Amino acid sequence: MVVPLISLILLCPLAAFAIFALLGLGNRSFPRQDYLSTAAMLIGLVCSLLLLREVVPGPAPHTVKWISLGGVTFSMGFYLDSVTVIMLIVVTLVSSLVHIFSMGYMHGDPRYPRFFAYLSLFSFSMLFLVVSDNLLGIYIGWELVGLCSYLLIGFWFEKDSAADACKKAFLTTRVGDVGMFIGMMMLFTKFKTLSLYGEGGIFALAASLNTGDMVWLSIAGVLIFCGALGKSAQVPLHTWLPDAMEGPTPVSALIHAATMVAAGVYLTARMFPILTETSSLVIAYIGGITALIAATIAIVRFDIKRVLAYSTISQLGYMMLGIGVGSYVAGLFHLTTHAFFKALLFLGSGSVIHAFHAMHAHDDHDEHDHAAHGDHDLVHAHGSEIPPDQDMRNMGGLRHKMPITFVTMLIATLSISGVPFVFSGFWSKDAILGGVLGRAMEWNSVHHYLLFGIALFAAGITAFYMFRLIFMTFFGEPRNQEMHDMAHESPKSMTVPLLILAVLSLPIVNILWFNEDYVKPPEQPHLHTPQHAYVSPDSKTDKAGITLSLFGVSEAVAAEEGGHDTHGAHADDGHHGHHGPAHTIAMVLSILVAGLGILLSWMFYHRRSLSAQSVATTFRPLYNLFWHKYYFDEFYDGVLVALTVWKARLFAQFDGTIVDGIVNGVGTVTRDFLAVFIGIFDNRVVDGLVNRVAEVTWAIGGRVRRIQTGAIQTYLFVVLAGIVLLILIFRVL
Amino acid sequence: MEFTLKTFIFYGFALITIASALVVVTVRNIVHAAFSLMVTLFGVAGLYVFLQADFLAATQVIVYVGGILVLILFGVMMTSGRLEMRIHIERGQLLLGGVVALALLMLLLTVIANTPAWKNLTDDGTELPPTTERIGELILNGPFLLPFEVVSVLLLVALIGAALISRKEVRD
Amino acid sequence: MTLQHYLVISAILFTLGIFAVLTRRNAISILMGIELILNSCNLNFAAFSRFMTPPEDISGQIIAIFGIVLAAAEAAVFLAIILAIYREFGSIRPNEVDTLKG
Repeated sequence: MVVPLISLILLCPLAAFAIFALLGLGNRSFPRQDYLSTAAMLIGLVCSLLLLREVVPGPAPHTVKWISLGGVTFSMGFYLDSVTVIMLIVVTLVSSLVHIFSMGYMHGDPRYPRFFAYLSLFSFSMLFLVVSDNLLGIYIGWELVGLCSYLLIGFWFEKDSAADACKKAFLTTRVGDVGMFIGMMMLFTKFKTLSLYGEGGIFALAASLNTGDMVWLSIAGVLIFCGALGKSAQVPLHTWLPDAMEGPTPVSALIHAATMVAAGVYLTARMFPILTETSSLVIAYIGGITALIAATIAIVRFDIKRVLAYSTISQLGYMMLGIGVGSYVAGLFHLTTHAFFKALLFLGSGSVIHAFHAMHAHDDHDEHDHAAHGDHDLVHAHGSEIPPDQDMRNMGGLRHKMPITFVTMLIATLSISGVPFVFSGFWSKDAILGGVLGRAMEWNSVHHYLLFGIALFAAGITAFYMFRLIFMTFFGEPRNQEMHDMAHESPKSMTVPLLILAVLSLPIVNILWFNEDYVKPPEQPHLHTPQHAYVSPDSKTDKAGITLSLFGVSEAVAAEEGGHDTHGAHADDGHHGHHGPAHTIAMVLSILVAGLGILLSWMFYHRRSLSAQSVATTFRPLYNLFWHKYYFDEFYDGVLVALTVWKARLFAQFDGTIVDGIVNGVGTVTRDFLAVFIGIFDNRVVDGLVNRVAEVTWAIGGRVRRIQTGAIQTYLFVVLAGIVLLILIFRVL
Repeated sequence: MEFTLKTFIFYGFALITIASALVVVTVRNIVHAAFSLMVTLFGVAGLYVFLQADFLAATQVIVYVGGILVLILFGVMMTSGRLEMRIHIERGQLLLGGVVALALLMLLLTVIANTPAWKNLTDDGTELPPTTERIGELILNGPFLLPFEVVSVLLLVALIGAALISRKEVRD
Repeated sequence: MTLQHYLVISAILFTLGIFAVLTRRNAISILMGIELILNSCNLNFAAFSRFMTPPEDISGQIIAIFGIVLAAAEAAVFLAIILAIYREFGSIRPNEVDTLKG
């Protein structure tokens, strides 16, 4: 059942795209592309859910030979384990909901069918990436989703900002992909294969490496992580993701929040078995720093989509952190919950934008252009332009106008902020925090204590800026009465997906998947416990797995971290729910910081007992730092781009003076000297020869033609003389 | 062979024929040449008589002297003014032509002298019956009917062609 | 009077005709030479008919008659051509009629 199901999952969106492509990308002769694409995704969703049962017996690769190059055979195949199934479900579910949402949101767009075709192509690519059992297949899917991301960010390519953003996204992720490719090649040179699983797979071979290869393996791991760095928008390659919000909001939700950006996390999780201590630490640090930096930037954004974009980056940082500290299950758990609530947040913001946008459409008599209208823009003091329908300073008090959107977004916000117990985000985030603290305590590692601090601080900030968003958008008085009057609740095709996602943000659904023994972290043979580390006997005996008890979730997940690096951790006593101190501490602290963040947000933006302005003035340098996004873009523009331009100018100059000089010099020499000599030779020798021949012929002809006197008697004379001579010769002689 | 009157007359005719022909080819005045040619044609007619070809001799006189020669004289009159009556002869050409002609003559004489089949065929002097009746039979009621008709057509064509060619406005 | 007598006379006439054709600078003179040649031929036909065949066979004479007829036709056409040439070139000197001169 497995192979047909996976094939069906892959083929349905591919067929949806292929039908569209065959009918011509440009024309609208196939108007029901939306139904086709959506139906394909729904079939994929059903198949994914059916697969849920199939995995339990364990991973089963299904491999076929693909190409043979020299002595090396590349194979293509599916690898199915619990993580794959979860990813399949997440992707197909979010994708289906986004498809449905888009039917309302994109209605009336001139390239409406094309949008759905791109979504189908993306879904196929993403699913292909997820199910591939080898690095080559993952890489193919990886680049395909990058392409779809490019196409969809630049979907409204008439807008300069969108065109720039899609180029930026493509180029920035490419930087990471180069690293990933080099990492793949390192593994390939070493192991002569790109397959991950099985006897001859990379993981099996890597497990047998001795300690001398650890440096090499760390470098390879970090390089492959570079791909994830770009795709998941981790510092320092994160700058493309906020700009990617130029794309249609459903795209932001599907690709740039829920699925594609999570592919980096997924890749890192897939590569889990070859992560060494060093590369794990690098990943953890990058994740932690990203979480913090993105969260602080998000505080000062006014564009509702940018806030969510930085929030996404921050949450992806959390996932990386989780995997970096060995909390494999927690990282993937957070990936799953985040996919739902972040998709919900984006779709909610899309609903808000759509509400405002209708007014714009009315004003401009331009129903098709969802793009920002530059002449309406409020140009911010710092120069960045925010489309008015995305500017939170134009919003406020929308909770009465759009009740469904409000409620669903509130649920998502509560979830991401880590409000305890009822919302899934709390459990997954807490699992990561607990994992970090657990690792810190277990190894007694300063690094991990530091990371825990960072993560905790970022969690507080997250709660703060997310509620800032809610307060600015849905509470208070309307700041822009004209726009407020025009706003309305979105159509059913948009609100239904919101409601479904809201339900999915409740923890019970996710726990169904992350139940005991369903997700098992792979071995990390090279992640050795440092010599100095204090190994808690408690954590050693913890059972990997998650209790069905709500309280037990975070603890069990966290406990599993402690277990899996010690051999035989999964075995033995069936008892679970052993409460390590780390998890309790982490939970309490995270609840505290979340509450603090929400409280501060309430005071700043709802009660207004504290003034954001005055705080901003007081901490001017810090505010500027956040506002300018830590000057990453300025740094890239000022250094990398300027360097590239300078280099290009240098090369242009080199080209213009030296290369052109050589070419022109050769040309001059050829024309002025060589050609002259050749010309002389041609005129004198060649032409002379031809003319001499002609003259000789002429002269001979002139002489010979005298024979032809035209006088008949001469001819007759010759004839007779000839006859006489002939007779004499033959008769007489 | 004995030298009889008949022999004498034969040599006379031969001499006249050759001499007048010599005059035809050498004399400068074309009218003289034409009249000399008449003598030659008569001489040939006489030789025909000696060959007992009476009809042939008569035809020779009638057609050649009465027809062709008059035609030639007309041609002379129509194409030659008083000055043109004199035939221009170049000395070098005369020499070369003479050499070739002489060589040809030598060749012919050699052949005639050395061909065994032609030797010792003497005219025995027997009288043969007149040929006119037999010729008439052969031409009009015999194997030569077809050639005769063909020749008559040829003659007709030649007449029409000559008339066409010599017309003044032929080159329009 | 043997066959060879006639043959010699014929040869002399033939040679004189050739000589005239080769040397005379007048088209009508050339015609006269041609007539001499034709006469020599006819004479040969008659002579061979007389000496080489049975007396009752006079085919040679008939051929000679045909030859005379041909000569007449030839003369007529020749003179017509001469007239045409005369009109064209104003001369009947064969060396002046040299359009084909190379």
